[in-house]
Amino acid sequence: MRRSFLGVLSLFLLLMGGLAVFQPAAKADPAQSEQMQVTLTSRALRHIMERHWPDSPASGAGKFQAGITPNILRDLINESVRDGRARPNTHGRPGTIYEYDFQRPIGTTIDGGPASRLRVVVNNRNEVITAFPF
Amino acid sequence: MHLDYRLTGPETSNWSSATEEDLRYRLALGDLISQIGDHDFSAPWGWIPLIDLAASFAAIAGKLQHATGSETFEFTESDAWIRFKRHGHDVTVTTSYQPGSAEINLPELTAKVRQLQEKLKTELTTKYPEIRSNQHFGRLLKIG
Repeated sequence: MRRSFLGVLSLFLLLMGGLAVFQPAAKADPAQSEQMQVTLTSRALRHIMERHWPDSPASGAGKFQAGITPNILRDLINESVRDGRARPNTHGRPGTIYEYDFQRPIGTTIDGGPASRLRVVVNNRNEVITAFPF
Repeated sequence: MHLDYRLTGPETSNWSSATEEDLRYRLALGDLISQIGDHDFSAPWGWIPLIDLAASFAAIAGKLQHATGSETFEFTESDAWIRFKRHGHDVTVTTSYQPGSAEINLPELTAKVRQLQEKLKTELTTKYPEIRSNQHFGRLLKIG
C-alpha cells in the first residue's frame, strides 16, 4: 500500500518536472541570498519519504507529523535553510547541515517524543540530500 | 570490543558510477553492531549507510591518534550520535541512544575499525564486483 502510494507520488513528481527549486534568502549575508538556491529533487523526496514520512517503518529515524505533504516539506526546508544555523557536514561528508527550531511540533524524535527542529543536509550543488525532524 | 555490521539486503545500483553522496547516504545500508564490555551500542535500524560509517569511524580513529579531545559520529538520518573521547591511551565511548559509557584503548579501537573496513570492502567487492572501479569507494574504504 505504502509502496504503491510512493510509486504514484514519484510518477507525479516526474511528470511535474522532477525538480522543485526555491530560492531562500540567506540570513547572514544578503549578498549571497540572491545566489542561494536549494533544490529538492524527486529522488531526495523519495529518500526522505522512505525514512521520515509518518507511515515510514524505518526505526531510529525522526518522523514528520501526519499531514505532511511535499509542499509543506519544501516550506519547512526553505525556512530552515533561510533562517537556520549552518555548519559544515562532518568527517569528510560533503555539503552543509542546516538546523532550525520551529518552536512547534513538526514531527517526532527517534524516541517518539515531539520534535520541533529540522535538520537539512544540502550538498555542494545546493541539492537537498536528506531532511528530518529531531 | 565487538564492532561489526549487518547489510540489510541486496541492492540494485550502478555501483561503478555511484557518487560519493550515493555511497555516503543511499547505498550499502544496514545495521551497526557495537558491543564494548557489557554495553551494547548497536543501532539495528537497517538504514545506516555502512560505507559512510566505516569511513567516518576511520577518520575519527585517525584524528584521535594525533590529539586528545572528543570526536562525534552523527548518523545520517537522525540526530543520534556516538562520541569518542580520548584521554591518554584510552577512549570513552558514549551514545545519545543508549545510556552508559564504555572504555576501550585507542590501539584496539583503531584495529577494530580497520577490521570493519576490511570486512565491508571484501563483502561489497564480492557481492558487487563492479564497485572495484568506483574511485569514491576506493578512497572511502582505503585502509591505511
